Amino acid sequence: MVYPYLTGLVAGAFILASLVKVFNVEEVRPTYRLSLLTALAFLLIAPLPLQLHLGHPLRSYEIFLTPNPTSAMAMFGFVYLWYLMGVLVLELWFEYRRDLIVWSREERFPMSLVHRALSLFSTDTSDAAVAFDRKAIQVITVIGIPSAFLLHGYVGFIFGSVKANPWWGSVLMPIVFLMSAIVSGIALVMFLYMVLTPLRGEPIDMRCLDKLASYLFYAVIVDFSLEALDFIHRLYQSEESIHILGTLIASKLFMSLLVIQIFLGMLLPVGIMIAVRLFSVTAELRKLFYFTAIILIQLGIFATRWNVVIGGQLFSKSFRGLTTYKMEVVGIEGLITALVLLALPFGVLLVLLKVFPPWRRAAA
Amino acid sequence: MKVPEQIKRLAVVLFVILAAVLLTRYLIPASVVDPRVYRASSAQREVSKEIKFAGATTCSDCHDDINTKKKVGFHKGLSCETCHGPSVKHAEDPSSGKPFAPRERKFCPQCHEYNPSRPTGFPQIIPTIHNPLKPCITCHNPHDPVPPQVPRECSACHAQIERTKALSRHALLECTTCHSTPTRHKQLPRSVKPTKPESREFCAKCHDTGASRKDAPKVDAATHGSRFLCWECHYPHMPGEA
Repeated sequence: MVYPYLTGLVAGAFILASLVKVFNVEEVRPTYRLSLLTALAFLLIAPLPLQLHLGHPLRSYEIFLTPNPTSAMAMFGFVYLWYLMGVLVLELWFEYRRDLIVWSREERFPMSLVHRALSLFSTDTSDAAVAFDRKAIQVITVIGIPSAFLLHGYVGFIFGSVKANPWWGSVLMPIVFLMSAIVSGIALVMFLYMVLTPLRGEPIDMRCLDKLASYLFYAVIVDFSLEALDFIHRLYQSEESIHILGTLIASKLFMSLLVIQIFLGMLLPVGIMIAVRLFSVTAELRKLFYFTAIILIQLGIFATRWNVVIGGQLFSKSFRGLTTYKMEVVGIEGLITALVLLALPFGVLLVLLKVFPPWRRAAA
Repeated sequence: MKVPEQIKRLAVVLFVILAAVLLTRYLIPASVVDPRVYRASSAQREVSKEIKFAGATTCSDCHDDINTKKKVGFHKGLSCETCHGPSVKHAEDPSSGKPFAPRERKFCPQCHEYNPSRPTGFPQIIPTIHNPLKPCITCHNPHDPVPPQVPRECSACHAQIERTKALSRHALLECTTCHSTPTRHKQLPRSVKPTKPESREFCAKCHDTGASRKDAPKVDAATHGSRFLCWECHYPHMPGEA
């Protein structure tokens, strides 16, 4: 369950980053590098939950080298590898290359070597080279957007293609996953931006924040509409599973689906953001409102993943009744492990922020 | 056209990665990645584990009487140790102690508590209303778990009473404990009726404070609701709730 949540954050953060480059949205430029690093930090941790489930860490690299064209699960290795190496790392390298060279010249021993190595000992900072970097980033981003869609659409695809499970098997699943990924990714980058910027003692760029919030607003609306569409479609189809799904929603998933996901995670934040738009609110108050909204949205998306993954296993496959999920606390797939996995990307991000400070731009 | 510096450097990285992949593919001897190498120790590990179960056939060597009964009953598919727990010690040395025997009420509902995903026809109960507080083995012999039956001659007409009584605390009482039925009741059920207890002393045989039966609830028959017969307040086929 942690895994779809993490990959969702990756795809969302990357799609936000690509807005700057492909669609030239100048307002959100302050979060461009931050969102790329966020995507990388979460992407590095994303396969860990799978690893813990499968065991055999010494053979894990086989996932990336062993093709199996008929298995959707096995495609993960390729989708992941392509996205990590072909898109994200390459884009980061081109984006930071010139800065890395300049920094390494100014710095003292350990960091200068780290930065020089990370720039692959590149030395060319001429205008032509920098222009080539920009061009490359543009191309990579254009390839990157469908790749990000692929990465998270793929997770939805795996659930959506389980025909035997009526709670999962839906063509809309990849799209719903994708939209909720975008929602959670934008909310995460907003959260990080709102926490990190004051920590460095700098003012928050309200233009940027307002723009992010408006993207978030539209994404939540689309996400909500898609999920509502899926729900109405199921109701109208009224397949034989509808009774058990109705019981499921009314009993076991009442709290996590109706209360947390829909009310706290969607309706309330949308209400907050509509209120912010209707009444001219001061910047300080706006920050507070946005912050509340993004925490709620993050909670809601987590509940979404819970409802899909756990919910799909809570009813008997013959539709006779509901089963029970008992969460382990310790154990390799227990609560503590899940919490550690959720905290790890922030640790990785901390290191990445030290090595690639997104706010430090080398002088020309 | 001049190839940009970046492309050259990335090409080197790509080359290194490719070379590493090919090296791991072709230079590492197949015997090292052979699954048998991984699994050789796991088979040994399993074998060296302590044996705890005696196995279904071992028990019948000594307990043939029980096995004869069990193998025709509804529990014929269960092995003895399903309920009695791992018993290899007892099998090797019967004097070392008896295997576990579940006598508590909470044990049987692990399989027989109502759960909609259990197969149709599988005997299921709701423990809070099925003979509350009594251990299952009071009425059911686990080696031949058929519940006490009301005689067909009574239940053919009085099926509702049969079903009510089967879940009540009086489940183990036979119909004839309280009713005596003339033979002609079967020919003329409306004009020749069975008897009903007509004195308070009848119930008091079990329920009076001085009565010898231990598991029945006790009242002082001399003072408790003195103007009425017992069954005017207590329904004998489903007496009292837990």
